[in-house]
Amino acid sequence: MKVTTTHRVGALALASCLTLSACMSSGSSSSGEEGDGPINIGISLPLTGDFSEPGKGVQRGYEAWADYVNENGGLLGRDVELTILDDQSNADRVASDYEKLINQDGVDLVFGPFSTRLVVPAAQVAQDYGFLFVEPAGAAEEVFTQGFDNLFYAAPAVADDHYDYLADAIEALPEGQRPKTAAYAAMDDPFAMGTAYGLKTRLEEMGVETVVDEVYPPNTTDFGSIAAKIADSKADIVVGGTQYQDAVNMIVALRQLGYQPKMAAFSTAPTNPEFPEAIGEQTEGILSPTGYTPEADYPTNAEFVEYYTEREGNPPAEDEANAWTTGQVVAAAVEAVGCADPDPECQQQLIDWLRENEVDTVVGPLTWDSEGRPEGAHLIQQYVDGEIRIVLPEEAAEADLILEKPEW
Amino acid sequence: MSLFFQSLVLGVLLGGLYALLAAGLTLYFGVMRVVMIAHSAFLILAAYLAWFFTSETGLDPLLSLVVTVPLFFVTGVAMQRLLISRLRPATLTMMSVLLTFSVALVIEGMLGFVFSGTQRRIRLPYSGDSIELFGANIAVVKLIAFGLAAVSLGALFLILKKTQFGQALRATIQHPDAARLVGINTDRIAGYGFGLGLATAAIGGTALALDSTIYPSLHWHWIGPLMAIIVVGGLGSIPGAAIAAMLLGLGQSLLQIPLGTTWAQTIFYVALFATLMVRPQGFFGGRLAQRF
Repeated sequence: MKVTTTHRVGALALASCLTLSACMSSGSSSSGEEGDGPINIGISLPLTGDFSEPGKGVQRGYEAWADYVNENGGLLGRDVELTILDDQSNADRVASDYEKLINQDGVDLVFGPFSTRLVVPAAQVAQDYGFLFVEPAGAAEEVFTQGFDNLFYAAPAVADDHYDYLADAIEALPEGQRPKTAAYAAMDDPFAMGTAYGLKTRLEEMGVETVVDEVYPPNTTDFGSIAAKIADSKADIVVGGTQYQDAVNMIVALRQLGYQPKMAAFSTAPTNPEFPEAIGEQTEGILSPTGYTPEADYPTNAEFVEYYTEREGNPPAEDEANAWTTGQVVAAAVEAVGCADPDPECQQQLIDWLRENEVDTVVGPLTWDSEGRPEGAHLIQQYVDGEIRIVLPEEAAEADLILEKPEW
Repeated sequence: MSLFFQSLVLGVLLGGLYALLAAGLTLYFGVMRVVMIAHSAFLILAAYLAWFFTSETGLDPLLSLVVTVPLFFVTGVAMQRLLISRLRPATLTMMSVLLTFSVALVIEGMLGFVFSGTQRRIRLPYSGDSIELFGANIAVVKLIAFGLAAVSLGALFLILKKTQFGQALRATIQHPDAARLVGINTDRIAGYGFGLGLATAAIGGTALALDSTIYPSLHWHWIGPLMAIIVVGGLGSIPGAAIAAMLLGLGQSLLQIPLGTTWAQTIFYVALFATLMVRPQGFFGGRLAQRF
């Protein structure tokens, strides 16, 4: 009896193996036959939760790109279809989303989510399955030190280099005109901290004294005490490593305390169209690095701005542009290699192609180092006469840099 | 020294706001042993209504209270009569967590659906204005929020202490069976009590909207600290919640000077743990608000 049982179990195991492999092979052959069907691209985005604001921007960019591609003959002659899931700004959720997209939905390609905290777990999943992973918003250094060999950041520069042009401009000033003290407040988020600390490193090298260095958790709702510390220090320059609501709340709190810095720089928020609506006229002189501006005269940009503006009623912002850039980068690789399917060989060819080639995008020509860092720099924008304009570098400037910020 | 004084002022203002936001939460528990997870979601809803009112009409957001306070009161009565009173008394407290959690999700989802996830802020001409007092700046918007808190907590106190309805409500809080015996319609009183709690959420949400950027999921950041406040203050006790709110607000503001923001936030949870270990019934309320 015992022998029979063992045999039965063995037979059952064998049978299930056969069934399983049959299913798997039928699965792969059917996807092979669907070569003329749409190319399905899987994406998970923070559509709710802390990052819902930029997450929705990225979504608009991706959707506009897909429609634009489909209206212009598709990719490899096939239509592009997006499957977008909501990860609720949650790092566990984003990993299981990509797992599901690749495993269950059988997508052909994946695009990255928004922001470093979500990009890292998502890229890990993509790496495990050998997928190419181009992402629109993971700019912090830690994205590029995890050993990912499938990752490319579709923007001009990594977080630490965002303020490079501003640091250069301050360095070029005669010593007496440079700020002497600086206050830094950054969200406990790799991207936001990266931008502020990138500038901090540069300024400290020039001898600018750090008088406040605050890090706050993303769920901070009250900025009164942080503002009180900064106001008390009377720093010449205030640097915010911010996302959106934290920058707005902090600026209002600083104004309430009567603090008037000579320079004020905040990442991300000022380039957002809601920013002047929330702050009012007191935006004048606020600096912000940006990877994108609709006015840039890169080859495909005018077409993008026109298409997007017609579709959404307003010109694209940075998040939308980075999403579009992600599409452009992947599309360039797909067109050059001539494949778009989940097969590891195809994905590896796409990765290899991007390592060695330059891609023309709406944020300029992009190339990457071996860890996926883009090798460019960010423009510096400033609110001048109520409009956000490029002020640095000088060759791209639309307005002169205001060194002494008017009172806010 | 000036930083200390400034932080002290900010802490008092913050504590006042916390007291207003927590008042309703402790009232629900006092009246009906209901843990109202959706309270902060209603705060954000009121904040959105204030923002919507101002962006549509251009009038001051405080005027939206004329609509939102009665609206929230009626909603509260309806919610208590139609949903919460259906829960079995034996498992009321536990099940109310689930029920109000789902209400919070519904509100968050609806806000996202109607107003989108875009982060909003009411643009006020006086948002950056402040009054100087002995070297410290007092922001006008924070002062208004503090004033709203003081007035509504005062009004709540008078209602509970001086009116017949208040007496009935306190009787219902203290001993529902005895209250029924002396002829109080405890079901109706409980409904009104719930409505009263939600009406404070309308005021609290509007006060919040004056000086913060709002988005649908913001309520999750608030519910934790507010729950901690009402436990420390003694569940069901409004003065207890007000004192705890003031102390924790001050503590948070002052601890930020040496510890930074991240650690200063933990004061709520440290206080919560300490309370549960040393005095589970809360420091100020006594046994379930009997001292109100």
